[in-house]
Amino acid sequence: MLKFIFSKIKTNTALKKIKAIQANQGQKDQPSVKLLRSLDKNLTIFKEVLGESNDIITREFICGQTQMKAVLIYVDGLTNVAVINENIMKPLMYDSKLTDSKNEAKIKNINDFKEIMLSAGDVKDSDAFDELINGCMSGDSVLLIDGFSSGLIISSRGWDMRAVETPQTGSVVRGPREGFTENMRTNTALIRRKIKDPALKLEVLKIGRKTQTNVCIAHIEGVANPGLIKEVKDRISKIDTDAILESGYIEQYIEDAPFSIFATIGYSEKPDVIASRLLSGAVAIIVDGTPIVLTAPLLFIENFQTSEDYYMRPYFASVLRLLRILSFAISVLAPPVYVALVSFHQELIPTPLLFTMAKAMEGTPFPAVIEAAVMLLTYEILREAGIRLPKPIGQAISIVGALVMGQSAVSAGLVGAPMVIVVAITAVSSFVVPDQADSGAIMRWLLLILAGAMGGFGITMGLLIVLIHLASLESFGMPYLSPLAPMRPADLKDSVIRAPLWLMKTRPTGMARQNPTRQKDNTPSKIKNPTK
Amino acid sequence: MKNSIGKMLKICLSLLLCLALSGCWNSRELDSLAIVMGYAIDKSDEEGLVDMTAQVAVLSDGGSSDNSSSSSNTASSEAYWNITRTGSSIFTILRDYTHESSRKLYSPHNQVIIFGNDLAKNGIRDYLDFFLRDHETRLNVWILVAKDKASDILDVKPKLEKIPAIGLSDLIEDQKATSETVQIRIRDFLERLISDTTASIAPLVEVIGEGKDQIVEMSGTAVFKQDKLVGELNKTETRGLLWVLSKVNSGIITVEAPGGTADLEIVSTETQVNVEILDDGSITAHVKITESGNIGSQTGSGDLSKTDNVKILEQNMNDAITAEVFSAVEKAKELDADIFGFGDMFYKKYPQQWKSMKENWDELFNEIKVEVEVDAKLRGSGRIVKPAYPAEEE
Repeated sequence: MLKFIFSKIKTNTALKKIKAIQANQGQKDQPSVKLLRSLDKNLTIFKEVLGESNDIITREFICGQTQMKAVLIYVDGLTNVAVINENIMKPLMYDSKLTDSKNEAKIKNINDFKEIMLSAGDVKDSDAFDELINGCMSGDSVLLIDGFSSGLIISSRGWDMRAVETPQTGSVVRGPREGFTENMRTNTALIRRKIKDPALKLEVLKIGRKTQTNVCIAHIEGVANPGLIKEVKDRISKIDTDAILESGYIEQYIEDAPFSIFATIGYSEKPDVIASRLLSGAVAIIVDGTPIVLTAPLLFIENFQTSEDYYMRPYFASVLRLLRILSFAISVLAPPVYVALVSFHQELIPTPLLFTMAKAMEGTPFPAVIEAAVMLLTYEILREAGIRLPKPIGQAISIVGALVMGQSAVSAGLVGAPMVIVVAITAVSSFVVPDQADSGAIMRWLLLILAGAMGGFGITMGLLIVLIHLASLESFGMPYLSPLAPMRPADLKDSVIRAPLWLMKTRPTGMARQNPTRQKDNTPSKIKNPTK
Repeated sequence: MKNSIGKMLKICLSLLLCLALSGCWNSRELDSLAIVMGYAIDKSDEEGLVDMTAQVAVLSDGGSSDNSSSSSNTASSEAYWNITRTGSSIFTILRDYTHESSRKLYSPHNQVIIFGNDLAKNGIRDYLDFFLRDHETRLNVWILVAKDKASDILDVKPKLEKIPAIGLSDLIEDQKATSETVQIRIRDFLERLISDTTASIAPLVEVIGEGKDQIVEMSGTAVFKQDKLVGELNKTETRGLLWVLSKVNSGIITVEAPGGTADLEIVSTETQVNVEILDDGSITAHVKITESGNIGSQTGSGDLSKTDNVKILEQNMNDAITAEVFSAVEKAKELDADIFGFGDMFYKKYPQQWKSMKENWDELFNEIKVEVEVDAKLRGSGRIVKPAYPAEEE
């Protein structure tokens, strides 16, 4: 009787401790609550902690002939049932290895199970409740056996997930079409398939008190700067929040300039892009549950580069980069410059063009800046509506937008036709550089207001402010505008233009100081066999 | 954080300070401007006053894009509006326009300034000042002189363009094809006005025809002494002048050719003028013209592809060009106006002697001996080599 009361008290104290730990999660280095010897008590505690969720399965059974009671706890849906049946339950219940010839249990230690019984891949033992519970929640199976004060965490993860598909973003004409999925393991595998070097290191941290999200930091040892790796790790491990649902969470917690409209951490959905950035000395951050993988550091010029640049021959690739920079400039500057010309600097417009524009604006009720603001606002609304709506309705929106808003606004005399053209070219060119579409939109509005108030002078001032800001930005120690400012002549080969691959003998100098040489002399004339 | 806010404030402040550096600059909507395309300035009937006509482009027919048939029939109104006001100076008249015009006149796109004959004879210096001083006017406006009243020119509706001033400006551009009219922008005019001796020139325009058939024609060159109109050059004399100024772009010279005449097209020219004071004190100007041309057309049946005939044509071309230059020189001496700028050339080459020459340059100019050396070359004969109709066999 006394024993019973005593054990009851023991159970209760353990429970209280666990509850206390759960209540103030995140405070690290708390003493973990140890498992008890009695299976019944442990099970009580487990059930108390896990509650009545019906996706949590506790399977009680007897281990073979030993008559040892055991419980397997796992979450239905997160586990691979075949592994549980074939590799855990079956050996435990039917195998005769548990007993020796005299029918006596030869299990002395919980590790003996691991070593001789379980045919599952990854098994580890633990005597801490929270570790066992975490394992259970992540899809592993927890095996508790009566008489042992530690349990086994058996890897049995398996759940439904999206297959590797062509990503929605960054589609290419030439180049691999596979994209990351929501599963971190698949994603790391996709990267490893590109870089088959043991120097590719993947390190996993668990972030998020409630979500316990796996965050994997990938880098290539000997290429990425150790300082950079350490900085990324430090920043990520300092995050103390309850939820990391997407890599955007990580980005916003660790970025250098949280108040800037410019992103200082890059992202991609494509393994080849991540691999190429890793090879340049960057660090990739793969977050479980999202196909978007982050890279740091990010330079401004990288927004104008695509993976396809490297797959096509260098001449047109360079032209395309210039085109992207031009498009970005148009998408930001076209409406403000038009407004400045029409309301401040009419003398800059060639006379015949002035006539056309003046004719179009004759009788429109609003000043040019209001016109531009209304049209831009309409465009932003249409764009946002188009993204969120189901695809079939999206087309209807574009018809309403293009025909009704554009055509009839002009024929009704509400806005001039040139303004519609300006907004249209702005809209189209803003999609050429998708990575900067967000900052571009904000800059466009800022400059539009300045242009409406002060004309070309306002635009100049606005651009100056932006330039000063850009020059002051840093991304994990790299100046944001490098290699242009500060000038790194060696890195210009892959900036505004893209030099032939065989000329790019070194990695970006600022990022990969340890191992700067990318390749030996691969000049085509040396590679090809001499012909007569 | 506090520090960075302070930094931002400082940056913003220094940028705001730039506001004080900018010039005159103001927001005006495009549809609140009256775009001036041309000015015509005449002497007023009242003593000491001038009439100024501003030609404003009327753009109201544009409004919407689908004015296909309905509006174009009804909108038969003019594409321009001429406003005339009288006043003592250009600036006062310009402001005076606001009494009539609902929109402020906007000059940067002005194409032409036309001076009336009477006003030009009395001197136009006082009326040029505004066009230089004001920030809205441009220095590349064409200057023209009307044979009669300037405002008449802006009343003639051109056949091809909608607005007379634009038609006029295009007409001037077109004169390159013949090089029989000078093309003078306001800055060229002033360059000559600033010089002590060089006479200003401007193209002459006149209205010919009656009623609906009225058109504007470029007819030679007006010659100014200082800022007063003193005479004019005809088309041949004008090209003679342009040869010396090395401003012949293109043009046709008709010369005698074996078996008929030939029209030779001027393709490229270059002129070097060398002035000299000879030992006996007399002064000369040596004009060396290098020209190359093509055969544009021919009458008769002479075979111009023969080397001998080419030689003859080249010689005839030499003579024709020389004659043109001499006709201009004669006229200039007659008018006592150094339209060639020989005076400035002497000033540059002989700055010491110039001091004494300057006083009696008018007489010296009359005595200047002009030598013309022409090196004309025929380069091509067009698509055909032999005449279209070969000589009949005899």
